[in-house]
Amino acid sequence: MRDLNLLIGLAMGLNLVALGSSRLPSIIRATALQGVLLGIMPLVLEHDIGWQVVAVAVATALGKGVVIPGLLQRAMRAAHIEREIEPFIGFVPSLLLGALGTIAALAVARSLPLLPEHAKSLLVPGALASMLTGFVLLIGRVKAISQVCGYLIFENGIYLFGLLLIGSTPLLVEAGVLLDLTVGIFVIGIIVDRIQRAFDSLDTRKLTVLRE
Amino acid sequence: MRAGPWLVLALAALTLSAVAGRRWPRTWLVLIVAGGAAAAAASVLVLSGAPGWEWRGAFRIGGEALHLRLDALSAVFLALVGVLGGAGAVYAHGYWSDAQYPASAPRGRAWWSVLVLSMTLVLTLSNGLHFLVAWESFAIAAFFLITLDGGARAVRSAGWLYLAASHAGTLALFAFFALLSARTGSWDLGPMNAQAALAPLFWLALFGFGVKAGLFPLHVWLPSAHANAPSHVSAIMSGAAIKMGVYGILRFSGWLPVPNAAGWVVIGFGAVSALLGIAFAFAQGDLKRLLAYCSVENVGIILVGVGGAMLASTAGDAVWGRLLLAGALLHVWNHGLFKGLLFMGAGSVLHATGTRELSRLGGLWRRLPWTSLMFAVGVLAVAGLPPLNGFVSEWLVYLGLFDAVTSRGPSAWAAIFAALLLGTAGALALASFVKVGATVFLGAPRGPAAAKAHESGRAMLAPMGALAALCVTLGLAPTLAWPAIARGVAAWHPAWPATAAPLALQAIGGAQLALATLLIAGAIVAWHQWRGKLARRALTWDCGYAVPTARMQYSSASFAGIVTGWFRWILWPRLALRRPRGLLPARALRLERIPETVLELVIAPVGALFLQTASGARRLQHGSLQAYILYVVVALAALGAMVLEAGAR
Repeated sequence: MRDLNLLIGLAMGLNLVALGSSRLPSIIRATALQGVLLGIMPLVLEHDIGWQVVAVAVATALGKGVVIPGLLQRAMRAAHIEREIEPFIGFVPSLLLGALGTIAALAVARSLPLLPEHAKSLLVPGALASMLTGFVLLIGRVKAISQVCGYLIFENGIYLFGLLLIGSTPLLVEAGVLLDLTVGIFVIGIIVDRIQRAFDSLDTRKLTVLRE
Repeated sequence: MRAGPWLVLALAALTLSAVAGRRWPRTWLVLIVAGGAAAAAASVLVLSGAPGWEWRGAFRIGGEALHLRLDALSAVFLALVGVLGGAGAVYAHGYWSDAQYPASAPRGRAWWSVLVLSMTLVLTLSNGLHFLVAWESFAIAAFFLITLDGGARAVRSAGWLYLAASHAGTLALFAFFALLSARTGSWDLGPMNAQAALAPLFWLALFGFGVKAGLFPLHVWLPSAHANAPSHVSAIMSGAAIKMGVYGILRFSGWLPVPNAAGWVVIGFGAVSALLGIAFAFAQGDLKRLLAYCSVENVGIILVGVGGAMLASTAGDAVWGRLLLAGALLHVWNHGLFKGLLFMGAGSVLHATGTRELSRLGGLWRRLPWTSLMFAVGVLAVAGLPPLNGFVSEWLVYLGLFDAVTSRGPSAWAAIFAALLLGTAGALALASFVKVGATVFLGAPRGPAAAKAHESGRAMLAPMGALAALCVTLGLAPTLAWPAIARGVAAWHPAWPATAAPLALQAIGGAQLALATLLIAGAIVAWHQWRGKLARRALTWDCGYAVPTARMQYSSASFAGIVTGWFRWILWPRLALRRPRGLLPARALRLERIPETVLELVIAPVGALFLQTASGARRLQHGSLQAYILYVVVALAALGAMVLEAGAR
């Protein structure tokens, strides 16, 4: 349990790193590192480690830590995106929001009716904190790539929730979720490139003309 | 003879005429007159004692079996639709001809057929779903007819206002029929007085049909629509279309149980409509707008009768209720006839002079003798003067109200109130039409348009003559109409079976006839006696002023000045005044405009507020993805908080 909490604590720290970094590559790196940490978690969580669990762990770590960040890096290079991030919400306010979100997640998790074996783990607060961080990134950043990172962190939070049920969730579902995500990122990588070519910008503020 | 075949014939002819209307004007005219005549014949058969006609189709439209029904109540209204549909078509043939309006005349013919056809269907369909479909097609056909001359801005805005108001009413009707079918389990309509739980639905029907009928605070669409529509359209709108609202109120107060307060509310709104309608009418300076407001007054009179009948039926089937309802139904006919006649007359004036402004008309009786004669018949009828038909129906209503007062029940107070308001309204109606007659037809022409006027063609005069003849007939022989009206009353309330004409009606018929004979004899004698002897023409003595002009005559606003002052609290007249200054004043000006008080002071501000709020809310939707996600987060957090709070309890 302590090992798991250590990993989750690290992941929560990476949330704050992602919120505080001003350059795209470092956000992508933080997201990738968080993905690897998440991949390791099933190994720590399960007592009898079979090949299935190892497969999930390896697939998750590879997908979240290598493939997806690789796709993002490629999209960034292909689209010649500036590395500086222009935030809607400044870095310090983002960090403050993230910290507040983490505290709130801890407080809320305490009032939730959880199973006794989950009561002491950081899984639920970590999941909530990651989702909030994802939201802050989605709301507070302008560039499409950084929003994809926000979405990834958000998804990581959902994955953490899923770990609560690792005993009962079929592997196939996990694999399916991961596949969906990878395809999604792949598509976004292509779209980013197209948007860049069509509009000479990835600023989502400029993509408001096609509403309705 | 059975009425069914005639009705089927009418529906077939009207449908064919809608198809033929665009290409073949003469075929259209024959078909629509035949259709109108067949509809009128079917109604006359039912009203003269043939059994009512009911037919259920084997096939389904929209999942509901077709169900047609023609009973005495719908026949009363169908006869009017048939007469005005035919007369208006003949009038349109001369008034809105292909030669004058090559673009809109074919369209106008087709929509006219659709209008008459859908009104016939509204009156005969006996299924809630199909009723709504017919009602909507009726509203839309009327919209396209009002905006036939779509070039003018005023016409377009009148059309949109009509469409918006009409749909506000239709919305209430949708709710009404949907709730009705939900509670009874069927869309089929018919007598269901036994189910007391249906009573509150009456309020929805009253609102929905009241908008169409032009009940006072709901009349906002009526003046501009009737004033700006082509005159034959105004004639059928005012004569027949607004009666569909009255029909709806009558139909569903007869078939469904009504709340106890319904009679009080209807009689109250009716009396207020009558008084305020005519007050607004008196103040208008536009001929057709004046006639339109006068329709509000007449619908008020009809609804006083209807409301009184409701009061009577809840107060133990008192006899005076039958008189009131008979007066109301007869007034439906009378108002349809004389208002159709008056609007056609106004159309003739408009056709001849090109203006509806009373202050530019004058002296038309020399230039339009036939129009003047028939307009005079309409004026006498609408003012409720003997010996014409308007007097008979209003008199029946008064008789019912007086009986209600002497019966000393709780309804006596409503009757006193209504009688007082109706009396005032009647006096004002007389004054209004004195003003119309005097400014349009008497005096000297107030402008070049009136001076160069010419009489209209036969196609326009013939239908006016027919309507005028019907007005005179109903005025001189009201007992002819009594059996029909009595069957209509019996169809509304089966406990009031048709009986012989009351003595009072026979007496008034005789008196009218005697009065008419006396008047005609007097006129002939006077003609022979003074012909040529009184023909000295000179200026009115005006204190020695040497150069009088036609503009020094009483204007429409000066006729109405005093009464406009009485009703200042509701009319809110806007005055632009530049007083003459100095010893030799160069220019002076006095302009008075009567606003659409309810529209401009109530509905427009409320609507503007609503739009402002709505466009404020629209600012939430701006296309910024980040903010949308923020909305999602806020909504999720709120939901989470609600769940947590519910769990803590």
